[in-house]
Amino acid sequence: MSSRSFRSVFMVASCAGAALGCYLVSLRVASERASLEDVETQIVSTQRDIRLLQTEIGTRGRLAQLERWNVKVLALSAPAADQFLNGSFELAKLTQPQRKVDFQAPVVLASAPRPERRPVLIGEESTDDAGVATTPANLLHEASLKTETREVPAAAPVNLPRTDAKTSTDKPAAAAKPADKKSVEKLGLAAAKPTKSATEKKTVDKVLAQPAKPVTKLVRIAKTDPLAPLPVKHSSKASKETASAQ
Amino acid sequence: MNAPSPALVAPRPERLRLVGQRRQILAIMHQRLMFGMLVYAGIVALIALRVLWLAAFGDHAGRTQGLTSLIPDRGDIVDRDGEPLARTIDAWTIAVHPNKVIGDKLALAQQLARLMPEYSAEQYFALLRSNKPFFYLRRRAAPALVEAVNALGEPGLAIEREPDRLYPQTSLAAHVLGYTDIDGHGVAGMERAFDAQLSNIATRGEPLTLSIDSRVQQALEHELSDAMTTFSAIGAAGVIMDVHTGEVLAMTSLPEVNPNAPGAASPDARFNRATQGVYELGSTFKPFTVAMAMDSGVIRSFGQQYNCPEVLPAYGHLVHDTHPFGRVCTVAEIMEESSNIGTAQIADQLGAERQKQWLTKMGFTGTVPIELKERGRALTPGSRWGPFETMTVGFGQGIAVAPVHLAMGYATLFNGGVYHPPTLLKIGPGHPLPPGKRVFSEETSYKMRALLRLVVMKGTGKRADAPGYRVGGKTGTAQKLINGHYSQTINITSFAGVFPMDEPRYVVVVMLDEPKATPETFGFTTAGWNVAPVVSRTISRIAPMLGVQPNMNREPDMSQVMPFVHETKE
Repeated sequence: MSSRSFRSVFMVASCAGAALGCYLVSLRVASERASLEDVETQIVSTQRDIRLLQTEIGTRGRLAQLERWNVKVLALSAPAADQFLNGSFELAKLTQPQRKVDFQAPVVLASAPRPERRPVLIGEESTDDAGVATTPANLLHEASLKTETREVPAAAPVNLPRTDAKTSTDKPAAAAKPADKKSVEKLGLAAAKPTKSATEKKTVDKVLAQPAKPVTKLVRIAKTDPLAPLPVKHSSKASKETASAQ
Repeated sequence: MNAPSPALVAPRPERLRLVGQRRQILAIMHQRLMFGMLVYAGIVALIALRVLWLAAFGDHAGRTQGLTSLIPDRGDIVDRDGEPLARTIDAWTIAVHPNKVIGDKLALAQQLARLMPEYSAEQYFALLRSNKPFFYLRRRAAPALVEAVNALGEPGLAIEREPDRLYPQTSLAAHVLGYTDIDGHGVAGMERAFDAQLSNIATRGEPLTLSIDSRVQQALEHELSDAMTTFSAIGAAGVIMDVHTGEVLAMTSLPEVNPNAPGAASPDARFNRATQGVYELGSTFKPFTVAMAMDSGVIRSFGQQYNCPEVLPAYGHLVHDTHPFGRVCTVAEIMEESSNIGTAQIADQLGAERQKQWLTKMGFTGTVPIELKERGRALTPGSRWGPFETMTVGFGQGIAVAPVHLAMGYATLFNGGVYHPPTLLKIGPGHPLPPGKRVFSEETSYKMRALLRLVVMKGTGKRADAPGYRVGGKTGTAQKLINGHYSQTINITSFAGVFPMDEPRYVVVVMLDEPKATPETFGFTTAGWNVAPVVSRTISRIAPMLGVQPNMNREPDMSQVMPFVHETKE
């Protein structure tokens, strides 16, 4: 009886509950949608702000203004035709002239401690008769560096038929140092450094590897000048001064 | 006591009848009431269902329409790289409703005069006391000023936002862009030509993309205004065009106008000299005459010789030269030294009819075929086009064209001979290149390269050369027609150049109106001295931006002309 009488109540309650549940779901959806709308509105208003700021920046940095600054302060100009390069090769070519400039400092070379090694090189090569293309090239280098006098040709021809042509003409001019060394080698090796000659002969292998070294050393010595400026200005100046003094 | 009441005893028949009627009425009333309730319940249920339906599945009305995308009140105008040239922004407007002012009007007037000093306190006071309902105090006000005015706290002051057209680049390409009136409708330039598209809500969301390149435009404007100042010219115009598509990359007319405040400019400044003004551009016309003669078979080689005396009597007139040869000269020399006498003879051989046909084919006899509404119409001899007029037209006198005409003609001549109408809209997916129309043969177009390169290498246009960019072109100095007579001292100088000449890509036309001599030009006012350097400087600036790589080792095929040039005078 009671169950039958309450049945309708339960029905009504469950229906109401279901309806409420459905309504809550839809309410939830609606609120989510509303917040999404808010975000969208926010996006649009932000876009509007961005647009406004872009316009302002564009106006402040307008081309006419940039041009005015350029005329008054920056003074930049369009690149000239020769400033355009066709590729990395041409770019690399631009760095070479500096090295050539370095080679123009023969005074530094003269004071360097190479003299002992070079004579060795030449002597050994001549004895070895290897005649590697690199070693004559070295000689050529020196020759080009020291072209001043031509006293030696008389003394030099005796030494070596091949190398003489190169060394004798030039090295004598290279003043006392390199020429002397060679002469020392040939004339007074025994007198001055008999032991050394032995050691040098031992180092034949090394010397074979060395032909490249003089080249690098040339470069290395030359490099000391331009590289010096990097740390501090004063030091660079100082080094330059010393170099020039030398 | 128990006496029955008469009613209980027996109802009288009329009363009974009354009761029956009442019942009937009651029943009807119940019925009607029920019906009304049902209708009411039905309506309520309907509304409730609708509300529930909307709550569950409702598509929020208007949500997708204006919120998710930003559509400006008027479409943007951008250059070919997307750089904005014209935009509509919300600007602050300060206004006053004089009859709504509740504070002390005198104090308010003083404060307004302090904040906006364009009027005095007295004027503001008079304005506030007037019975006018509304007054603009400042349109396009700065935010700081708006804040200060707002701080006055006067309810009669109205501070509102309204859409405002802004040109961020100020006067850059002003004559191309044009400007709008106070209501935001275009009244000049592209604003006017594309007003419908820019204001239609369906199309204004997408910006209008012009063919203008703002960097190129700036370079041209700067160099040209520099020359205009240097040579005290009264005006100048310049056009840079892509020869293959007819796209105008830069177009300027000086004196300039600021489209943000067009009212401040003089009518002269608002006049577009590049499209509206037509000028007798002089010798820049000569290459056309030579090309026509070549295509018609009149000239078979640049070595063809003409008698070039000091003065040429022709049809009752005398033709003069600035640098008379006084000997026999070749076509190459005629162009190199810009000889009127030689060109006149070529034109004479060509004849009036053929000349007219060519000029019509090139579009030189009508209005400038461009989108702008400010277009000039070429002036030709018309019915008086006789043999002598043919001669003068041949060297650029007696025919007046706009600078854009000239640029268009050079583009046609050097792109292989195909005519494309000039356009201010970027050629792209939305605006494809219309099919061209052949005017000159490809061979003529090719041969002319060397001829015009010669003018710049050795002739009158030496100062137009930009090292490495292979500029070719022709100078033009035309005497200005003043009160029906050609002035001997007042000129219009122009230069039409093309670069790079070995593979033409761009044409530059520059014109100065009434340039004066300076010490640097040794008293000369001819084109070679004043406009040619503008072309040189402009090309040096813009060519790298346009992707033209300078190369000192490339030249057009100069063997076409070099053998025919007399070198002794150098």
